[in-house]
Amino acid sequence: MNTLAMTPARRWMLPALSGRQRLGAALLVLLLAFAWLVPWLSDADPARQQLTRILQLPSLAEPLGTDHLGRSLLARLASAVQLSFGMALLSVVSAAVPGLVLGVIAGWRGGWLDRVLGSLADACLALPGLLLVLLLVAIAPGNFWALYVGISLVLWIEYFRVVRARTRILVTTPQLEASRLLGFGPLYLFRRHLWPELAPQVLTLAAFGAASAILAMAALGFVSVGLRPPTAELGLMMIELLPYYHEAPWAMAQPIVVLFVLVLSLNLLAGRDPR
Amino acid sequence: MSTDLLQARDLTIRGEGVTIAPFSCSLGPGDRLTLLGETGSGKSLIAQAIMGTLPKGLCAQGRLVIDGEAFDAADSTSRRALWGRRLALLPQEPWHALDPTMRAVSQVAESHRHVAGRDRRAAFQAAWSDLTELGLAEAGSKLPGELSGGMAQRVAFAAASAGGAPIVIADEPTKGLDAPRRDAVVELLARTPEAAGALLTITHDIDVARRLGGEVVILRQGQVVERGPAQQVLTDPQSEYGQRLLAAEPSRWPLPKPLGERQAPVISASGLAKTRGGRELFRDLSLTIVPGEIVGVVGPSGCGKSTLGDMLLGVTRADNGEIDRAQGHTLGFQKLYQDPPAAFSPHWRLSRLLDDLVRRHRLDRAAIPPLMARLGLDENLLGRRPGEISGGELQRFAILRVLLLEPCFLFADEPTSRLDPITQRQTLELLVELARERHCGVMLVSHDPALIERICDKRISLEATPSVAKRELDPVMA
Repeated sequence: MNTLAMTPARRWMLPALSGRQRLGAALLVLLLAFAWLVPWLSDADPARQQLTRILQLPSLAEPLGTDHLGRSLLARLASAVQLSFGMALLSVVSAAVPGLVLGVIAGWRGGWLDRVLGSLADACLALPGLLLVLLLVAIAPGNFWALYVGISLVLWIEYFRVVRARTRILVTTPQLEASRLLGFGPLYLFRRHLWPELAPQVLTLAAFGAASAILAMAALGFVSVGLRPPTAELGLMMIELLPYYHEAPWAMAQPIVVLFVLVLSLNLLAGRDPR
Repeated sequence: MSTDLLQARDLTIRGEGVTIAPFSCSLGPGDRLTLLGETGSGKSLIAQAIMGTLPKGLCAQGRLVIDGEAFDAADSTSRRALWGRRLALLPQEPWHALDPTMRAVSQVAESHRHVAGRDRRAAFQAAWSDLTELGLAEAGSKLPGELSGGMAQRVAFAAASAGGAPIVIADEPTKGLDAPRRDAVVELLARTPEAAGALLTITHDIDVARRLGGEVVILRQGQVVERGPAQQVLTDPQSEYGQRLLAAEPSRWPLPKPLGERQAPVISASGLAKTRGGRELFRDLSLTIVPGEIVGVVGPSGCGKSTLGDMLLGVTRADNGEIDRAQGHTLGFQKLYQDPPAAFSPHWRLSRLLDDLVRRHRLDRAAIPPLMARLGLDENLLGRRPGEISGGELQRFAILRVLLLEPCFLFADEPTSRLDPITQRQTLELLVELARERHCGVMLVSHDPALIERICDKRISLEATPSVAKRELDPVMA
């Protein structure tokens, strides 16, 4: 059995991806390549208006056409993907790191520390997520940091919960006890015993979390409480182009399709095949 | 013979580096066949090939005749209709096979209802009467988590045999059970042939094979080494491997070197008491262990054997009593675990784990190769991960890791209960030898009284009852 399950060729930490995860990774790589290669290869400015050339069909000069202010949609989409992805990454990291650290501490130490941290998480969970973000946005309108703080404040709890539950089981296992008896310290125990067990779950959560952060940001942009124009942001682009859907349906479809593919790729990456 | 219940002709299994040589057998009503062999000898695969549940990547060839009907072994789905009705499988470690959220009686009734086709009321009646017959009347309304290993085994047996299957295949039915429970399971299994059924048992326990009787087949690396009546094969085996297997029984082990002069104890405890879950495990327990001494601990499951050891190591606290550990050995108190893979993180190569230890305590690398040679560990093993080597090798690696720290006390918590007899003998002999040589006191827990009797200098026996009996054996008592 054991020989079937593992092959010596497998490198550590590079998880074997299933078919659909590979598809998700490929889609994501394509999108990111698009977002970073476009500004590099062409000099189009996402904010430059050309009011004589509004709502143009895709052409050789403007591969994706222009919007209602004559701005290059290619440049705007690339900039929007950069923004969404960067923001998702930032909020995932700032949610996962405290979630992981606090989760390990709570699960490991137990006792009053666990109860305090657990209540804190419950208190945050009791706040409705999107409302919290709206609240912060109302305090500081149009600010990037408000969005970021709001989104990561909601997201850290799930990391905390998952990590705490796993850690609580893992610290009682013989493998940890054995290493402790052999004189290893907590950092070693975390690196060799806890992290390899926690990593797949944390990374799965991170991919899901990135997708929901992107959606949350687009939703805020769409209801015009997120970032302010002229920033190129997917939700903002949708609402800006909405009045022109009749004349230029292709223009409005573009941010929708990009958002869809971005979220899909992250969800595919996160989802594992059922056994 | 047309009266055969189960007949296999030239059954071969291939794939994934496994080959099981042609195996044939025929079992009539009342016959019993026991497959005996070490882990990895392919004995479970034969049962799986008959059931049609081989893991992916393996395929079977040959002819099977089950209850008068002929099957091609390669077609694994064809026997599915027989499951429960004519072929019953008693799984390994049944507490894993039972649904943890369902009461015992419902699990048995389910088989009566869906396999035997009774209506709801009749099924429950039948289930209750089955359980009562097996002495489980009050266990029926419990969840599997509340049952002991032996009770879970009986519930699983009731559920598996509710369909009235005349052919029962038992895969390692006694794994992880202590001696009295093991005997009860053997009695349970013997019911099938008594009721004119056929019994195929797979085990690595020679004692189980001897008690079951009938025909015994000794397997090794997929080859039949020897077969014949249990009486003959298990008293006077002809093959070299059979003789080794038999010699691995604790009662035939050579006696270990006697303990030299008694030095100052490495650990001594007095007046130890522990209560767990409202039940008193032991009270007023005193013991001393001197360097090189092997102290055995026996007792039924759940009597606090592991707890006692953990208390001596300082992992668990005692409710009462004092423990004195020898001074100057901060890392001198170590443990060997029952399930070797569980004591290692499965994600790292052994070389990495060994390196970590050497670097952590600035140990001398030169000490490793001779000790590895002594333990019969090959250099190549270090390139693998814990899941990729055998349990025996991994346990010896655990011994290596522990001995590098030059311990003065080692708590061995059933270190060989998951190993086959030959590996068990090798491992324990080495452990005893090294303990004597390196002046390391060992507390050895086992559920096999014969084993403890044989190799231990002193014995502590814990009872399930609150009263604690302690008996000291003469070191040279045979």
